Order: sequence, then C-alpha cells, then structure tokens
Amino acid sequence: MKWVDAVVQGLLLGSLYAQYAIGMSLMFGVMRIVNIAHGDLVVLLALIGISIAAVLGLGPGFIVLLLVPIGAAVGWILQRGILNWAVGEDPLPSLIATFGLSLALQNFMLTVWQADTRSLDAGALTTRSVELMGIHVGVLPLLIAVVAVVLTWSLHMALKTTKFGRALRAAAADSVAATISGVNTKAIYAQATAIAVAVLGIAAVFQATRTTVSPSDGGAQLIYAFEAVIIGGMGSIWGAFVGGLILGVAQVVGSRIDPGWGILIGHLVFLLVLAWRPQGLLSRR
Amino acid sequence: MNAGPLLSARGLNAGYGDFQALFDVDFHIAAGEVVALIGANGAGKSTMLKTFVGLVPVRGGTVTFDGIDVSQTPAHALAVQGLAMVPEGRRLFRGMTVEDNLRVAADHARHLPADDRPWTLERLYDLFPILAERRGQAVEKLSGGQQQMVAIGRALMMQPKVLLCDEISLGLAPKVIGEIYAMLPAIRQSGTAILLVEQDVTLATRSSDRVCCLLEGRIVLTGRSSELSRETIAKAYFGVGHEVG
Repeated sequence: MKWVDAVVQGLLLGSLYAQYAIGMSLMFGVMRIVNIAHGDLVVLLALIGISIAAVLGLGPGFIVLLLVPIGAAVGWILQRGILNWAVGEDPLPSLIATFGLSLALQNFMLTVWQADTRSLDAGALTTRSVELMGIHVGVLPLLIAVVAVVLTWSLHMALKTTKFGRALRAAAADSVAATISGVNTKAIYAQATAIAVAVLGIAAVFQATRTTVSPSDGGAQLIYAFEAVIIGGMGSIWGAFVGGLILGVAQVVGSRIDPGWGILIGHLVFLLVLAWRPQGLLSRR
Repeated sequence: MNAGPLLSARGLNAGYGDFQALFDVDFHIAAGEVVALIGANGAGKSTMLKTFVGLVPVRGGTVTFDGIDVSQTPAHALAVQGLAMVPEGRRLFRGMTVEDNLRVAADHARHLPADDRPWTLERLYDLFPILAERRGQAVEKLSGGQQQMVAIGRALMMQPKVLLCDEISLGLAPKVIGEIYAMLPAIRQSGTAILLVEQDVTLATRSSDRVCCLLEGRIVLTGRSSELSRETIAKAYFGVGHEVG
C-alpha cells in the first residue's frame, strides 16, 4: 500500500509539472523555441498573483481569473516584442534571447519582491483531503490533476479540430507553405505563446497555493518542465502531460526510498529515457 | 471585372542578399490565360514566382495585382487576396491529413459568398477521386503524384484569381504528369489565370497560350506558344551567342 500511495502522490505532483510542460511543448512544437524563461514566467505570475491577493484581498479562484489574461498578455507581448525576431531555422537566437530574458526577469523579481519566499493562502482547501480506496488524497492536488487533464485535453482538441489549430500545425510543419496558404505565421506564433503563458497563469496559482515561491525558483521549474517535455516527446501535448506524470512518480517513489533521493531519481529517469528513447515516449518519429 | 491584366510587373528587380536574380522584368497575365515561364536553371523563374507572392521582397519596380500595387503587401495577405502558389517540391504540411492540408487553405481562402466559390472540397474530390479515398491519411504516406494533387488542391482551395505553379511535373512519372496537366483546362475555365514554370519546353508550349523565356534574370522572349518556333525558343533559352546543336 505504501508504494501504491507513493505512485498516486507522484501522479498528483506530476500533474503540476504537466501544467508547466504543455505550454513549453506547444512553443517548441510550433516555433522550435526552447523557452529558458519558462520557469521564471511561472514565478513572475505567481508573485504578481500573491501581490494582487494581498492588496485586493482576493482568494485564489479570483487570482486565476486575473492571471490567465495577464499571462496571455505577457506571452503575446513577449512573442511580438522579442521572440518573433529570434524565431527561425536556427534555434540558437531564441535560446539566447530567452536565456537573457530569464536573467533579466530573475533580477527584476529580486528588486521588486526581494528574496523572500511567499505563498497564496487557499484556506481550508490546502489541508482538506478525501479517502479513495484507502489512500488519503489532498483535495488541492486532486484539483490540480483534474485541471491538468482538462487543459491538456482542451489544447489537444483545439490543435486537432479548430481553424486556429490547423493554422498552428501548418505553421509548425512548414512556415513558408503556411504563409502562401494565407496563414499569418507571426500572428499565430504570438497567439501560441499567449496560450502557453496563459496556462502558466493557472499553474502559477497552484504552485503558490501548494508550496511557496521565491524569485530564484524559476530554474527548478524550468528543469521539471523541460524534462517532462523530453520524456514525453518534443512537441507532443499528451507527451508533455505523460512526461510530467512520470517525473512526478519518479520523484515521489524516489523520496520514499530515501528522502534525499527524490529529485535525483527524477533526473535519473529522465536520463534513462534520453538514453533508451531519445525522441520521447509519445513521439511519432 | 476590369479588362486590364490581372497580374503584372513593371521594371521588376528582386533578389536575395547581395545577389540580384531579376532585372527590369516586365510581365502581365490576364484572367483565364495560361502563360508558361521557361528558362535554364538559375534563370530566375522560381524567384519571379516567389516575388509575385511576396516571399522575395521587391527591390525596384512594381507588381500590380487586380489593379492595386502589391509590391509591399505581405505574402499571407496576398494569398488571401487570391494569389496562390503551388511551391516547388510541393511543401505539404507533413504529419497532417490530406483533408487538413486542404482545409488550412480553405480556412484562409479569398472571401467569396458560399455559392460563388469555384472550388470546394467536394469539387476537388470529384476531380481527384483518389484524394477523397485518402482524405484521412497523413500526406507523407501518399505517392509523389498524389502529393502533387494535394499541393495543387491546397492552392485551389484559396479560390485563386492567379495560380502560380512551380515545376509541378518535377520528379513525376510521365503518366502522372499527363494526369496533372489534364487538370489545367478545368482550372482556367473558372477564370483563374495560370502561370507555369516548366522545365519541359515541349510540355510548356503545348499547355500554354503564351510563353515567356527568362535568361539570367531578364525576359528575352515572349510570344504566343503556337507561333514560336523551336529555334526561336532555343536561341532565347541558351542566349544568342551560344551554338545550339
């Protein structure tokens, strides 16, 4: 039972990683951009949310409603202002641009919010739990898991069935052919990044209610998102989701073996997948 | 409908980086007309098509489409206005189904009332029944000829006023080339002008009303396909100074 519990808790933890990873996977799949500032954007949105909550006295539910449009706006401006100039065949310019952005964001956040750790108070939701087949499951982690599934499924369906999704996949497959088919690729890219960062607005609230955030936390979140995307297969939305879950399970099972090993076992599983199936588990290649 | 040319260029200069590919090109094509563009490798045929659709910037001169100067119009906007291209090498959206490839273009087609659209998925599937059969398959699973049909179909779904075809016979078996070229009359019937880039000069003259020959970025010959002799074309194709055996 101890190990079943570990796997369940791992899946719940992994759901949060999945929320970081789907946006990253979307950006990579469409634009071949590895967004190094991804984790810092989670932290930035979380800190904005915490400050708004403190000033206006709003609960986490309202903060999500505010952070999603804020995230979308940040993503859109980021793509229009910086990344559309760096996107292209060569992945290096965008890598350097987002790396620079990551450093700038961390220092900006240190200046505004100092190095303190903060969190969002979700009241009783943080401690409430339900018993499912003999396993105690926190209501908040369960909510995170449900939201992760809904987000992944919605994004998958939007890509598969809508006009926007077709244009996005077309631009990802061949941007020149998409252009001569009437697709404004730069506008599509801006919308893709807006969606990716809007999703982070949701993840940020969960991150800040489930644990704490401080301006230097972005790096760890980036690594988890990145590993989830690689494990699942670059550019696959469900792959990113599955990758997040696998990483979560590895970390929790690892920490049950030895409390100090959790994070390490997660990295080892990532390395194993990289050695055994470098294209990722759900990649079509 | 205006009587003037649908698409025209005047004193057009274009190129990539330090390299100039087109020099003072004058060109025009009218509704329903088929013009073949011929010339040796590197003569500037593909560049001319890419300049027309906005993929290569205009450096000098003007491109006029439907009476409006479009020299500075971005490529995606030109496509929506009815200037469609079948690119060299087909460039289909890999990983997407035949139908999704076609629907990307249909999503961004020239705005027309539903009844006035010459091209619909149904009409296209009538013309290429094999595509209807394979509509749910990923495009990379199709044969070269079938992929070319998708590429042409994708351009037609834009409801083009002008269709630019860049070497649609490249790498295909003669029988398949015949099938593809047999499509052209149906396309021009809807009033669409067709500009063909074709390596096979015989095929080019047979399928067109007029021929334009490019040599080192300049138009050196233009005339009615039926009136040009092989010798005249060969002279223009290789340049006057060259001996042709």
